[in-house]
Amino acid sequence: MISGGRFTDRPGRKLFQASCLFLLLLAASCATVPPAPAKPRGTFILLPDDQGKTGAIVVLNAQGETLLSKPRETLTIDAAGRPGKPFQMSDKDVDARVGAARYALPEPPVRVIFYFKYDSDELTDESRAKLPEVLRSIRERGPVDISVVGHTDTMGEKDYNYKLSFRRAQAVAKLLTAQGVAAAILDITSHGKDNPLIPTGNQVPEPRNRRVEVTVR
Amino acid sequence: MGPPGVKIMKRYVIIAILLAALPALCWGATAATKETIGVIRNSSGTVSVTRGEQVLPAVSGTKLLAEDVLDTGRDGSAGIILRDNSSLSIGPDSRLVLEKFLFAPVEGRFALLVRVSRGTMAYISGLIGKLSPGSARFETPVATIGIRGTKFAVKVDD
Repeated sequence: MISGGRFTDRPGRKLFQASCLFLLLLAASCATVPPAPAKPRGTFILLPDDQGKTGAIVVLNAQGETLLSKPRETLTIDAAGRPGKPFQMSDKDVDARVGAARYALPEPPVRVIFYFKYDSDELTDESRAKLPEVLRSIRERGPVDISVVGHTDTMGEKDYNYKLSFRRAQAVAKLLTAQGVAAAILDITSHGKDNPLIPTGNQVPEPRNRRVEVTVR
Repeated sequence: MGPPGVKIMKRYVIIAILLAALPALCWGATAATKETIGVIRNSSGTVSVTRGEQVLPAVSGTKLLAEDVLDTGRDGSAGIILRDNSSLSIGPDSRLVLEKFLFAPVEGRFALLVRVSRGTMAYISGLIGKLSPGSARFETPVATIGIRGTKFAVKVDD
């Protein structure tokens, strides 16, 4: 093997097989390759997300550019920097190669949206009832980083809306700190009317845009 | 609390940073002026964060700053969440450098530059991937990865 004893102490056989596959592919595509020194090689695997959707990545170096867009589509790059032909790796082989990292991916953040009355930093009654949900995820997740981001609909002036959405964010922050959440873990920001949840034209009253988004990471 | 407006608040923030920077200068530390860019959510085995000269244990809840370096030992793995809600994780014998991170949606400014020097990494894109995928880049010793809103994994063998 190219990197000698290094594979023998790794979680074993699957990785070894995957490496063989890599070598076979390499031999098939360019038969005259001189034996490469122990330079870095890479494996790039596109994965479906937790909803089963697959995006796309572009893998680029001096020797070319490859677009990966199918589930578990994989590109290997050899020690000479040459990209191989993309192929679909089995789920088992993905785990053999990158399983530890794959399963160390954290649970996605919890996002809760609080809605507000028109031109006010007063929560709607339904939103007030969501507070326990946020407190519960803070408790369950342990030490956390929390964003509190205020927004408005597009009614009124930009500057006024920044102030209004800041007041909204502060109102939610106050509710959290009153329940014992440390102020130090809250990151409070104000987006005014720049970031509507429901895209509308300017000067459109839209209750779903009068909101504070709390993200518990 | 209750500053009359965001513009004024920004002034407060700048003043606060200057005040915070004064003692920091005396102690020769620069970290005080840096913003939190993410947090370690889970770690197992040997994991460390290197920040300048400091080496910190990487435990759940450890806040991360730009330029932090994460290292794992043979038995190590860790997962982090960045402020744009993207998730990153590393497997054993890995090194990850959080070179750049900028998430300022109001100003429309975004940057994510992560270096995977060795080992394995997995990533699920967040808001930067959604709002400005061209601003996200992952560098490895053999190639650079650009994203189009996605989840993927990398392995670097050396």
